[in-house]
Amino acid sequence: MNSSKRPARRPILMLLATVCLGLTGLQCGREAGPSADDPVIALVMKTLNHPYFLDMQRGAREAARNLNLRLVIQAAEREIDVEKQMQIVENMIQRRVSALCIAPSGSREIVPVIVKANRAGIPVLIVDTRVDQEALNEAGGEIAGFVGADNLRGGRMAGEYLAEQLNGQGKVAILEGIPGHETGDSRLRGFHQVIRNHPGIQVLSSQTANWERAQGYTVFQNMLQARPDIEALFACSDMMALGAIEAIAEAGREGSIVVVGFDAASEAREAVRQGRLLATVAQYPYDMGKRVVENAVEVLKGNPIEKDVEVPIRLITREVLDAGG
Amino acid sequence: MRLHRPVYVPGRQLGTLLGLLSLCVVLWILTPYFLTLSNLLNIVEQSSVIAIMAAGMTFVIITAGIDLSVGSVLALSGVVMATLLQAGVPLPLALTASLATGFLCGLLNGVLITRGRLPPFISTLGMMSVARGAALLVTQGRPISGFSESFRHLASGEVLYVPIPILIMLLVYLVAAVLLGKTGFGRHVYAIGGNEEAALLSGVDVRKLKALVYGICGMLSGLAAVILTARLNSAQPIAGIMYELDAIAATVIGGTSLMGGEGTVFGTLVGALIMGVLRNGLNLLDVSSFVQQIVIGSVIILAVLVDMFLKNRKA
Repeated sequence: MNSSKRPARRPILMLLATVCLGLTGLQCGREAGPSADDPVIALVMKTLNHPYFLDMQRGAREAARNLNLRLVIQAAEREIDVEKQMQIVENMIQRRVSALCIAPSGSREIVPVIVKANRAGIPVLIVDTRVDQEALNEAGGEIAGFVGADNLRGGRMAGEYLAEQLNGQGKVAILEGIPGHETGDSRLRGFHQVIRNHPGIQVLSSQTANWERAQGYTVFQNMLQARPDIEALFACSDMMALGAIEAIAEAGREGSIVVVGFDAASEAREAVRQGRLLATVAQYPYDMGKRVVENAVEVLKGNPIEKDVEVPIRLITREVLDAGG
Repeated sequence: MRLHRPVYVPGRQLGTLLGLLSLCVVLWILTPYFLTLSNLLNIVEQSSVIAIMAAGMTFVIITAGIDLSVGSVLALSGVVMATLLQAGVPLPLALTASLATGFLCGLLNGVLITRGRLPPFISTLGMMSVARGAALLVTQGRPISGFSESFRHLASGEVLYVPIPILIMLLVYLVAAVLLGKTGFGRHVYAIGGNEEAALLSGVDVRKLKALVYGICGMLSGLAAVILTARLNSAQPIAGIMYELDAIAATVIGGTSLMGGEGTVFGTLVGALIMGVLRNGLNLLDVSSFVQQIVIGSVIILAVLVDMFLKNRKA
């Protein structure tokens, strides 16, 4: 037993050396920029593997460059991982950042960590997804501001356009986002608010595809199996819409089913241009990222800010794109 | 027929611990934010959910099994408890329900493995999907949130400046260490993993013991669910996706062999802390989340490489 101890040391030291070197390398590789005493703003997003949040990241970086400040961007590996996001925010509090900008993965789940940031005296700004106001009040938490789009209005926009295109008559299916997500729920609510006023429009089926493209494909395939008479689809995100378009093409129903998406991802814009997607609601995550960082800086300076910034949304149709929009 | 396998392998244990300590030293040098009392408590608290699940996983892996269902079982236990709490069921009863849900799921795994002769991988893979579906069904896919102050206290409360999740985790590890290291039950767990046939021949009730081991693993997922739910003030049916992999990683980094028959919960605790420290440290160093995944994956591979290297040396 004793003899096994001596040779054991070498590989462990090797492991340590590798890890140390690796970490040192990472340390050196970080962006050089403003000095360590300058304020540091952290932007914690839902994920970084989605074009939407990459746009937001670009906007935030742009603002940081203009204002010459240090910006730290972190996100969980998966959009739905509320615990991982909470841990990242906790680590940012330990990192003693000057201000926190958060795009919450969960409208209520983010509240406990906002309270923690409040206690540490770090101002919190929310971007993209609203915090549940009731939960926030109950926990005694406070946010310095919000920047985001009105998803309810976006949902209404999609509903109105679809109703107009269908001339107030038709059978509609819906692909929902993850249930309990404020963003998806608001889009859905907005859409229903409009459709309710059109008695000629019937919602045949409404199911979740969990924001995912692959699920958008399979879920809509199943919907078509069950209800071949579907004439239109509202997908609460472009990713799900793009998946559903594939299912429509495979079923040979192109042209007989119109699809409206949400987000105006670049691929979705392309699909609109090709006429495979009827329309998509554009949000401007780049502007959101830029604005929230700018607002954070104002808060740090002690200047008053607009507490609730609504970033405009816009319906993207072929006409809009042809006009250069 | 020797049932007493070497339970404690000093070289391995110290190696993992040394790994953790040197990681800490490196981070201490690289960032002023790392070595503060509040950050260390923060790391241990963050690690507590995975660590508690990993303690159960260690039992399972020592028997040469695997449990892929722990993340889903965590979600199911969490939403069952949350539903009861919302319905006004007293706190102790709801907590018990969470543990019981986990225990029953685990026990079912165990019975399928021992009576149904299913490979653990298959049985628990099935349970992973069943429990997730059940959690979604119970909640209709929606998170359940907003609990009483006394429940949230389980996460936000402190005893002598130590957050309660840390205390619960330490208690779990204390009990698990005693159970594995000092009791007949523990010796039999090692014996099954070392050589199931031999254990059977020497009179160990392998079926009962294995079923119980999976039950314990499930129950600890139920306990982890309590902490996670209290921390977030919300029980999510989609909570804990892929947590099984973190729990397995903590166990393996801690020196438990996937072949069974050896390992300690102490090693697993250190393994869970290594992952917690890494994640925290990489955050503090402003490392991008893409690079973080590469680093964490590499550390898992390196740790097991070292482990295998040691084993070959000994053989």
